[in-house]
Amino acid sequence: MAGRPGENTLAAPAAYAARPSRRFWRLHFQRRITLWGIAFVLPAILFFIVFKFGPMIWAIELSFTSYDMVSEPAFVGLDNYRKLMADPVFGASLFNTLVYIAGSTVLITLVSLGLAMAINTRVPGARYCMMAMFLTNLMPIIAVCLVWRFLLHPFGLMTQLLAPFGIDRVDWLTDTRTAMPAIIAVTAWRFAPYFMVVFLAGLLAIPRDYYEAAEIDGATARHRFVHVTLPLLMPTIFFVVVISALLSARIFLMPYIMTGGGPGNATRVLSMLIYETGFSYLKMGEAAAISVVLFAIMLVFTMGQMRLFMRGERVHG
Amino acid sequence: MADAPILRPPRLSVRLRPLYRWIGLAALLALTVAFLLPILWMTTTSFQAGEKMFQLTTDWIPTEWHWENYPNALSRAAFPTFFFNSTVVSVIVMVGNVVFCTLAGYGLAKFRFPGDRWVLLAILCTLMLPLEVTLVPTFLVVYKFGWLNSYQGIAGPLVIEAFGIFLMRQSMLSIPADYIEAARIDGAGELRILWKIIVPQCRPALAVLAVFSFRDSWDQFLWPLTVVSVNEYRTFPLGLVAFGEDYGTPPTEQMSIAVLATIPVFLLFAVLQRWVNRGFGLSGLK
Amino acid sequence: MVNKTNSTPGAGPSRRDILRGLGAAGAGAAALGFGQRAWAQARAPVNISFWTFENPQQRPWLHKRIRLFMEQNPAVKVDFQFFPFGDLGKKLSVGFATGTAPDGFVSQDWFMPTWLAKDLLAPLDVQRLGYSSVKSFSDDFTQAFVAGATKDGKVYGYPLWFYGFANYLNTKQFKEVGLDAERDWPQTWEQLGEVAKRLTVKSGERFTRQGFKFAMHAAQWTMIQFNPMLIQHGGAWFDDSGKCTINNAAGVKAMTVRASIARTYGAEDPADSIATAPLPQMDWLRERASMFFCHPIPPAAIASQNQKMLSEGYYRPVQYPGVEPGRGFSTTYGFNLVVNARAPKEKQEVLHDLYKFMMSDLADCWKDTAPFTLARKSGWADTPEVRQFPHVDEIIKAKDQGVYLPRTVVYNELADAVHRGVQRIMLNRADIKATLDEIAAEVDRATEASKRG
Repeated sequence: MAGRPGENTLAAPAAYAARPSRRFWRLHFQRRITLWGIAFVLPAILFFIVFKFGPMIWAIELSFTSYDMVSEPAFVGLDNYRKLMADPVFGASLFNTLVYIAGSTVLITLVSLGLAMAINTRVPGARYCMMAMFLTNLMPIIAVCLVWRFLLHPFGLMTQLLAPFGIDRVDWLTDTRTAMPAIIAVTAWRFAPYFMVVFLAGLLAIPRDYYEAAEIDGATARHRFVHVTLPLLMPTIFFVVVISALLSARIFLMPYIMTGGGPGNATRVLSMLIYETGFSYLKMGEAAAISVVLFAIMLVFTMGQMRLFMRGERVHG
Repeated sequence: MADAPILRPPRLSVRLRPLYRWIGLAALLALTVAFLLPILWMTTTSFQAGEKMFQLTTDWIPTEWHWENYPNALSRAAFPTFFFNSTVVSVIVMVGNVVFCTLAGYGLAKFRFPGDRWVLLAILCTLMLPLEVTLVPTFLVVYKFGWLNSYQGIAGPLVIEAFGIFLMRQSMLSIPADYIEAARIDGAGELRILWKIIVPQCRPALAVLAVFSFRDSWDQFLWPLTVVSVNEYRTFPLGLVAFGEDYGTPPTEQMSIAVLATIPVFLLFAVLQRWVNRGFGLSGLK
Repeated sequence: MVNKTNSTPGAGPSRRDILRGLGAAGAGAAALGFGQRAWAQARAPVNISFWTFENPQQRPWLHKRIRLFMEQNPAVKVDFQFFPFGDLGKKLSVGFATGTAPDGFVSQDWFMPTWLAKDLLAPLDVQRLGYSSVKSFSDDFTQAFVAGATKDGKVYGYPLWFYGFANYLNTKQFKEVGLDAERDWPQTWEQLGEVAKRLTVKSGERFTRQGFKFAMHAAQWTMIQFNPMLIQHGGAWFDDSGKCTINNAAGVKAMTVRASIARTYGAEDPADSIATAPLPQMDWLRERASMFFCHPIPPAAIASQNQKMLSEGYYRPVQYPGVEPGRGFSTTYGFNLVVNARAPKEKQEVLHDLYKFMMSDLADCWKDTAPFTLARKSGWADTPEVRQFPHVDEIIKAKDQGVYLPRTVVYNELADAVHRGVQRIMLNRADIKATLDEIAAEVDRATEASKRG
């Protein structure tokens, strides 16, 4: 792409060069186009102010108040945050959220990259395998949760598959040690095929000359992967990591349906705590404070996304 | 990006001999089947007798096919209404995203105006503000609008997603500016340019946007749970979770509903599949 | 449709006076239907919203009575909404907060303190309900239950259903292991463990049949099942200062007993259940467990899962075990018909008439919702249909001698904390004392917060 996006667009068309009132006309023309540009973006801006930034600011404001929705919010300073710091349930939920983000991000990235490379071997029918696997990504999450809740019964299908190894019982969802990994695995099952497609697109975009050159140099398959594929795939990997982290940070339904946050607090995540605190205990202020903590976590990954984006823009510019 | 020259498929880093190709295929097939097992289980279970669920054995092929599970399941609670509501909401969300993300994407890809970079960054920032996080204040916003228990309340906060805007913008960046200039010289209005020149070039991205915005809305659980308190506006996930409140509702019928709920998304994907693949940049894949 | 609670202002006083006259005339005629028909002629249409919880028998009965009332009062339209049992309280809280709460609803009794603390309910006019005084109203109900619905001498809830938990036995399985359910039913907690152990069938490490089973799937069930155990062992949820005392010696003892069925007697597997939210008694109904603590189980519920058990009648409820034989009691809980304080006067009056109409035929209620017992003393217990109901004496006894769930404004927080604690103890073998300490600390924090808020 030549030029910054939009730059060409704004230059007056050459056809007008000969006109006498060129300068005036150009200004007028430019302003009109600028206004159109703003008009196109305006609905989205207004929407985000009302449904994203407004609520964000409101959440920050509410987090300094005590508010049960019946009486007016009362300013309590940093009380809510202090309470959260002292609350082991919040501590556990924060920890779980971080574990979940880390676990599912790593697993999703590895599985989806593996799948993409398997598809990319182009054995006959690979394309159909890809499309079949992609179905897990289209199945409603609620159905995913209900199905897996049954499959992960201590004596359910997943345990039966382990029978050849002499294992006849696993308390997948009711054992503190396995509940979180089980939910992470289900998450990967559901989301990896999506990122597989993203990786596949990344792999397809690697020019074949690179491989040919490497082959001529006598590089082994492993070498080619480490020295050609991986470096060229880096932006895609970064993208997948950031997006799956953002996705995991907001997870609610999977633990809500499959474990209810249990056993104990083993799978309680921040989004569940926000819902409970706000709508079951009617402590909107405290719930807002939890939201602010979750913002902060997501901000980290969003900054990552921003860096990636800016780099992409520089490539264009 | 959409009409970027189709990349030649890279010659395989691994050149497989026929025998190995078959082994590779077998391995890939095994992997696929493993991935699809839960979907298969869901489907066959939806035809099983209600008893099966409690025996914790897995009969992959039902000995008797209980087709009546489907009409029976639909007659529980108000599932036809729930599905109708989900459809209305998801269509609103899909259309909203397709329209507004196209507009905004175009505005950001092909126009310059003061602060346009900031707008881009701000939109990027909304990625960290999903509904699960801003649940409480967004609920209060919708409440202040008087939108509790309404389609606009359920769909409203989802009508524009940052992802959609970026998707559209990226796919428009590569459209040559000359096309647009030429149209302007011909006296075409801006909306006409968008409709006649830009949109046709973005079909793959639009297909991706349509499928995923529909699916995201179809999947919503926490938000409808929060804003809906009357049966008339419940969506199917809420019904599915409350399933079995009637005595004797076999859990197999819950799977029937799950299967039914899966079909619309599969269909939409199937219909748009050709474009979606291109939208993902998979044109090179044979 | 969407309920717009406060859309119509109350009618002017003159109109109300006329109506009071008409109401009096109706009462004078002592014909309920007649009096209410007078409403229809005198009034502009009244739209009322009414919420309840979902239950396959109770919800349809309520709906039926409401429809009948609407037929007799064409000017009254009732918008009837229902929610999963566990969601109703949450939905009402949010409804009150946002002004979208219904005009009238069925309140679970453990939520009454929450509503009353915030003045969200309107006091009931007992005369309009057909009682001469608050005293005659109170006398018509089990004392302790109506106490939960009164405050400062005013009544805020019209008690509807009200029932106790019982220990449901599979008598066939008793026979199989050489026990006679009539004679050998467990009367103490030790006996419960011993009997459960005998009833247990295992193949290897896996239970074919669990002798006894505690519900593990929802906080509310954890509370109902554990509440009497705590009280029987001399424990209490709170002391006089409002501090949570679940972690004192009595609490530890009660929880140790709770855990002993699995830990000491090896008679249950807390992780292995096919039960999910709506039907926690599923393991018992499917004969994967021999005993289960449950609310009165309707024949329809048994028939739906196990036709044979119903037709051959090899089940029976008995009282909870006690610390001493014959001294067992369980949790009783129930439901009040209540009126939203913010509902316009006119709607409040119609709701009174609706409630009076609902409660005017309790025999019909029993017929449709048996064996869910009723809170009122008069009007149902002596009818032949009740007397002929299998094991009805046990069911009524459980109701009469039961204890209540804690009446506290932090009920949700308490229930969640206890549920999580029980999960840790039963599923992760956490230390009992340490876990109870954590629960108490969690509840105290919630109490503290509610005081400040």
